[in-house]
Amino acid sequence: MAAAGILFALPSILGLTLFTILPMLTSLILSFTDYRTVNTPKFIGFDNYTRLFDGTDPYFYNSLWVTFKYVILRVPLGLVFSFVAAFLLNLDFIRGKSIFRTIFYLPVIVPAVASSMIWIWLFSPDLGLFNSFLEALHIPTLNWLYSEKTVVPSIVIMSLWAMGSTIIIFLAGLQGVPRSLYEAAIVDGAGALRKFFNITIPMMTPIIFFNLIMGSIGAFQVFTEALIMTQGGPNNASLFYNYYIYREAFQFGEMGHASAIAWILFMIILIVTAIFFRTSKSWVFYESEV
Amino acid sequence: MKKTKRFAALALSTVLAMTVLLTACSSNEESPANKNGTNKTEEGEQITLKFSFWGATIEKKTVTEALERFEKKTGINVEPMHIPADYITKLTTMVAGNVAPDLGYMTSGSGLSWAEDGKLLNLSPLMEKDPDFKKEDYLDQVWYETEPGNIIGMSISVQGYGLMYNKDMLLEAGVELPPTEADKAWDWDTFIEYAKKLTLDDKGRNALDPEFNPDKIKQFGFQYDPYNMMAAVVSNGGNFLTEDGTGFGLAQPEGIEAIQKLADLMYVHHVSPTPLQTKSLPDMALQTKKVAMTVSGNWALQAFAEQEFNLGVGVLPKLKESNTLLDGAPMVIFSSTKHPEEAWLLYKYMADPEQVLPLIEGGLWMPLKKDWYTDPELINKWAAGNKAHPEGYTDAFMKQTLENGVRTPGFEVKNLAKINALVTPALDLVWTGKQTAEEALKGIEPKVQPLIQGYYGR
Repeated sequence: MAAAGILFALPSILGLTLFTILPMLTSLILSFTDYRTVNTPKFIGFDNYTRLFDGTDPYFYNSLWVTFKYVILRVPLGLVFSFVAAFLLNLDFIRGKSIFRTIFYLPVIVPAVASSMIWIWLFSPDLGLFNSFLEALHIPTLNWLYSEKTVVPSIVIMSLWAMGSTIIIFLAGLQGVPRSLYEAAIVDGAGALRKFFNITIPMMTPIIFFNLIMGSIGAFQVFTEALIMTQGGPNNASLFYNYYIYREAFQFGEMGHASAIAWILFMIILIVTAIFFRTSKSWVFYESEV
Repeated sequence: MKKTKRFAALALSTVLAMTVLLTACSSNEESPANKNGTNKTEEGEQITLKFSFWGATIEKKTVTEALERFEKKTGINVEPMHIPADYITKLTTMVAGNVAPDLGYMTSGSGLSWAEDGKLLNLSPLMEKDPDFKKEDYLDQVWYETEPGNIIGMSISVQGYGLMYNKDMLLEAGVELPPTEADKAWDWDTFIEYAKKLTLDDKGRNALDPEFNPDKIKQFGFQYDPYNMMAAVVSNGGNFLTEDGTGFGLAQPEGIEAIQKLADLMYVHHVSPTPLQTKSLPDMALQTKKVAMTVSGNWALQAFAEQEFNLGVGVLPKLKESNTLLDGAPMVIFSSTKHPEEAWLLYKYMADPEQVLPLIEGGLWMPLKKDWYTDPELINKWAAGNKAHPEGYTDAFMKQTLENGVRTPGFEVKNLAKINALVTPALDLVWTGKQTAEEALKGIEPKVQPLIQGYYGR
C-alpha cells in the first residue's frame, strides 16, 4: 500500500525533483564555477564566495543591509497590522464584515506588477496622493521612492497594503479560539484587555508563529517592487537581495556568481527559520500539547 | 509484497516514461536544424533564418516588411522574432539553451563580451569572400571589433546627437535660434543665458530676473537625460576612460567639470528640470511648451515629427570643442547559425539604407553607408524635405555626426556594464544635487579602477 501512496504522490515528487531539487543542486554546483551563461562553466572553487565576503563585490554587504532593513521593518509591522485588522474584522459589533474582508483581500488578487504601477503614482513626489495629503496638512512632503532614506519604508508601506492573506489566516485563527474560554473568563470577571492578553494572544501563538515564519521568508525574497518601481535605486538603496541576484544573473550574465549569492540567501533563511523554531518552544502554545 | 513490487515497477516506469518524454522534447528542437545543416546544398531544402530585434511599432513594421522582401527576393525563409522588452535576458536564455537566433540586434556591452566567448561570428572572412561587399562603403565609425580583425558587425544604425527645440518658443522669447554649424556653436555661457531666458516661473518671470522663483518653474529652458551626459564630457575633451584605456576618464578634471556643469544647470542656473521634476513632465514636453530645448539622439526626431509643433534642430552647445556623440548598437550573426552565408546575405540586406528607408526617412535611424551622407541625391531621400528632418538637419546632425561624432563608450569600453553599475548610482547623487561631481566620481574611482580593462579593438 505504501507504493500506492508513492504513486499518488508521484506528480508532486516528480515536480519537486525536476523543478526544485535538480535546479537547486545544479545551482549549487554552478556556484563553484565561472559561468557567464554563454561560456562553458569552469571550476574555480570558492572564488565566487570569497569575492562576496572580502568585499570585492561592492554590492553584497549593501544588499544584505538593505534587505535586513526591509525584513526588520516589514515582518513586525506586517504582523501587528494584519493581527489588528483581523481582530477588528472579528469583532461582533462590526457591520458589513464581508465588505471589509473583500477590501482587505482584494490587493492580494491584484498582480504585484499592476499594484506597483499604481503605487508609483501614489508615491509620486509632485502629483502623488500621499504628498498632496501631506501638503494639505501642511506637513513637509517626502520624496518616497526617490530618496535613499525613505525608499525602504515606502516599499514596506506598500507591502502592508497587500497583507490580505495573512489577515485571512489570523481571522480563521481568531474564529477558532473556543468561546468557552471567553465565557469562563467573563464569569471570572475578566475585562476586555485581560481576555485579549490572557486568552486571545496565547491561543493565537501558533498562528502568529506560522505567519512570522512565512512573513520572514517572503520578506527576505522581496523582488518585484525593486524591479518595477526602483530598479534598486536610488544609489542602490533598494538593491534587495533577490533583485541583486537577478541583476547579477540576467543583466550581467554572471550565473555562477549569482548562484553563490542565492545559496547564501538560502542559508540565511534557513538559519533565521531555525532560530525562530528554537525560540518557539518558549512562547508558542499548542493546545494539543497541554 | 508482490503487489507492492508491481506498484513500484509502475512508478518507476512512469518516471522513465516522463524522462524519455522530456528528453525527447528537448532533442526534437535540435534535429531539424541538424538536418538542414547537413543537407543545405540539396535542392528543395528550405532554409529558415531567425532574426531577432527590438523596437516600437514602426520599427517592428518596417523591419518585418524588409525581412519579407528579402524572403521574396532570395527564397530564404526568415522568421522575425520581435522582442520588445528584456531583450538581453531573453537572448541570454536562448543562447544558453542552444536555440539562439541566426542573426539580429544586440546590445553593445553583451555583444562584445559574447564575442569574446565565441558566441558571435567574426564577419571578416564573410566580407572578404563577398565580391559585392566593400567595407569602405560604410562609415568607419560603425564597426564593432573585439580586437583588430575580429569584427562582430556594424551598428544597426547611426545615432548622432544634437539640440532639438520648439522654434515658436525661442522666437517668442526673442532668443536667437541655435546654430547648425559646428564652428558657430554656442559656447556654454551663451547657452546658459539663452536657456535662462527660456525658463519661466509661475508669474512669467524668466531666470535672468532677480525676482525669479526657482521653486515654481512652469517652463524649462533646457532638458537633458542624464544618459546623454557623455555629450558634454566629450565636448570638454574628456571621455569615459582615459586615452590609454587604463584610467577612469570621468574622474579626470575634464569629465568632472563637464558633469558638474550639467548638474549646475539644475541646481545653480535652474534652467533644467531635476530628475524629480522630470518625473512630472509630460512625454511631449516640447509640444506642450513645458520645455524649450532638449538634447537627444537622432531617433527622437521620429516621435517629434508625429507631434504638432514647429521643430528645430541645432548643434550642441560646446564646452571646449564642438562635437557630438555617435551612438549605436551592433547587429550580429550568432556563431551557432547553421547557415552563415545566408545569414550574411540578410545581414547585408538589412545594412542597406534602401531596404529600411522608412525608418531612415522617418527620423529613427541614420544610414550606414557613406554615400548617403555625401551624394546630394541620396541625401534628399532622407535628410531633407520631410517633417522628421527640419531645416538645418544636414549640418546640425548629418555633417556634425559624420565629421565630429565621438563614439559612445558602448562601442569600445570593456566591462562597461559592470563599471556603469557603479557609475550610474554615483551620478544619481550628482543629478539629485546631493554630491558634487568631484565627490561622487572621485569617491567611486578606487572601486572602478580594478574593473577597467581598456578598449576593445585596439
